[in-house]
Amino acid sequence: MTADNGTGSDTVSRRTVIGTAAGLATVGLAGCGSGDTTEAPADTPSDGGSGGDGGDGMSAETTETGPTPNDTALEVLHAWTGGDGAAAVEKLTSMFKEEYPDLATNFRPIGGTGNVNLDSVVARRLANRNPPASWQAWPGENITQYGGLLANITDVWEENNYTETMNPMAAEQCRLNGEYRSMPLVSHRMNNLFYNVHVFEDAGVDPASVSSPSGLLDAFETISNETDAVPMAHAMSGPWTTLQLIFQNFLGMHGYDAYMSYIEGDGDKALLVEALETTQEMLENYINNDASTISFTTANQKMMDGNAATIQQGNWAYGMYRAEDSGVSYQEDWDWMAYPGTEEMYMLHIDAFTFSRDTSTPVKQKTWAKFLGTKDAQVEFGNRKGAIPLRTDIDTSRLTPFLEMNAKHLANYDQFPPTIAHGLAVSPNALNACKSAVGSNFSGPYDAEATATGLMDAVSQ
Amino acid sequence: MAGSQDTAARSGVTAGHATGSDRRERLRQFWKSDFVRSSPYWAIPLAIMGLAVYGGIIWNFLISLTDYEGFLQPPDYGHLDFEMYARALGDPAVFSTGKNTFVLLLAFTTVSLVLGLFLAILLDRDLRQKNTVQTIYLLPMALSFVVTAQFWLWMYNYDNGLVNTIVGLFGLGPYNWIGDPQLVLGAVIFALIWQFSGYCMVVFLAGLQSIPTDQFEAARVDGASIIKTYWRIIIPQLKSASVSAAVVLMIFALKIFTFLYAMFGTYRPPKGTDVLATLMVRQAFNLQNWAYAAAIATILLTMALVVVAPYLYYQYRARAL
Repeated sequence: MTADNGTGSDTVSRRTVIGTAAGLATVGLAGCGSGDTTEAPADTPSDGGSGGDGGDGMSAETTETGPTPNDTALEVLHAWTGGDGAAAVEKLTSMFKEEYPDLATNFRPIGGTGNVNLDSVVARRLANRNPPASWQAWPGENITQYGGLLANITDVWEENNYTETMNPMAAEQCRLNGEYRSMPLVSHRMNNLFYNVHVFEDAGVDPASVSSPSGLLDAFETISNETDAVPMAHAMSGPWTTLQLIFQNFLGMHGYDAYMSYIEGDGDKALLVEALETTQEMLENYINNDASTISFTTANQKMMDGNAATIQQGNWAYGMYRAEDSGVSYQEDWDWMAYPGTEEMYMLHIDAFTFSRDTSTPVKQKTWAKFLGTKDAQVEFGNRKGAIPLRTDIDTSRLTPFLEMNAKHLANYDQFPPTIAHGLAVSPNALNACKSAVGSNFSGPYDAEATATGLMDAVSQ
Repeated sequence: MAGSQDTAARSGVTAGHATGSDRRERLRQFWKSDFVRSSPYWAIPLAIMGLAVYGGIIWNFLISLTDYEGFLQPPDYGHLDFEMYARALGDPAVFSTGKNTFVLLLAFTTVSLVLGLFLAILLDRDLRQKNTVQTIYLLPMALSFVVTAQFWLWMYNYDNGLVNTIVGLFGLGPYNWIGDPQLVLGAVIFALIWQFSGYCMVVFLAGLQSIPTDQFEAARVDGASIIKTYWRIIIPQLKSASVSAAVVLMIFALKIFTFLYAMFGTYRPPKGTDVLATLMVRQAFNLQNWAYAAAIATILLTMALVVVAPYLYYQYRARAL
């Protein structure tokens, strides 16, 4: 009994320790809590303190506005980590270093599709008051989120006459609150339908005869009956590809004005439902079965291999065709048409860099901005990336034949609907809501009505 | 007290000095105590962990009480309220992702534990090549989420994935495992179970092997069947093993974000797999709704605690802890 009691009291003491520890932890937490609350107001001045850092930046600015930049490295973040993008940015940065060998630089790639990781790194660093000097960002509505934290680089635009030589649409997208705050590098065209020449020949479909989304559906039907190929390669591992396709159909069916009304929050829901129904017909009947598990590069490969007839993508898809080991050549194996119904339009996407206001390297920042606008930077980058320079005064024969054609369209068309899926047309909030609408109601099973409601609500926020 | 009087008597000085030297003596003894001398070994890790983990949790909670959003204004700690929680409770996205999180947490933990226990018992029955089998089951645990997520994505491919090939042998399917919102959560849970049931097996096996063989013998002598022996005698002794395994599994279930991101490469996984963690990341890093995201994070933490707490309490009551 005594022994029992002994062990009993032993256990009790161990259990008491556990209990006490738990109690102490709670008290400790509470203590920390109050500590934190009292520290909290101190945190605000400490932010002021980092404002003090900004003050350092200011003093750096005063020293840097002179001809000699300081020793701090220019920090630039971008998202081109693989394939053609990596090759293009490698060329761009080495050109910059060649031209300005004395400037310390720190180019940092942040991987991830659709700038997702890059944007979150930038968001975190802006919130921590420690932004990079410059980062890759889609201009237009996308940069409204950075509000008053962007540098005004209007002087760079004016001194280098970029205001006259840059594509006016792109220039407009780089302005925020009346000043230039971004520098465009290249543009991707969005309203493309790339197709496999052999599959079209086998099916007996003349690409030139397809001139509307409903005509495209007819062509798909023929291809699916006449060949083993899937009419359209599509990737649905993220909602952006479908979002892109929906608005290609919208533009092709209802035209530029209806599209512009929609992004301005004044759209017609009935038109949206029609476009969604056409898209639904495509997705339900004419795409590859494994769409939900593949990325757009895999989908693109299906078209290149002849397992699919077409793919709707931005012209970054071209980056894969022009790779030396792609096994396909332009107009022999693959070819291009504007998405049916959008022949006289150039759906605009812009890759640009933007610049933070609170930086310790203001002189180098502007040197970088100036460099991005030069003809050589845009041409060399564009040729490698499969994108079109935005300077209007370049010699287009420096571009590859396919890009040269696109560049001529960019120079000559009148209608440039800005892309929704890549942030030009709508704010990040609205884009997120659009992706939610597609992700929840339009990634199988398809609900055109509910998706239309979601898309309408997204832009009217 | 006695000690201090001793010191005072020995030193033979005035009362005032006595208190002074008394204090010094106490201080000296304090500095020489095990508590202080061992402190570099426990206090530093405690401080780092306390600050990084609990400090983080508390700060997160504080942010969730503010209205912090965007980049321009720092959080205002002057006006704290539960507005973000009210907003979260009325948000259908929080409800649906919370449901997915809960289903995932529960299904993944339960099935992994049961499967791990089953495998451990099989191995404990003196299987040939026991070590090899053990390694084979444990190996997936050693792989990173990035690797397993990618190859399960291939396994679930509609056209040429292994899963559809296998179910096809039984005349079923093919199924659109990832594209069908009805199936995708199950598919993800299955992949996670595949990765972690081996870990449960090892934990249970260690527990099983610490049980003396005479208990089996005694049960056999008493005429108990194998199933009855395990059910009545052995499994009840594995409680502490199952607590530790369950806690580790739940932590991994909360880390599901990594798996989903590695699988789909986006903060917005397909419909049916959107969980609180992905919703939180989107709110924070896509939309800069810091306070709202912090509130979702707190809800997620509370949910985990709610799932774990009754079990821990039960264990404590049963004196297993």
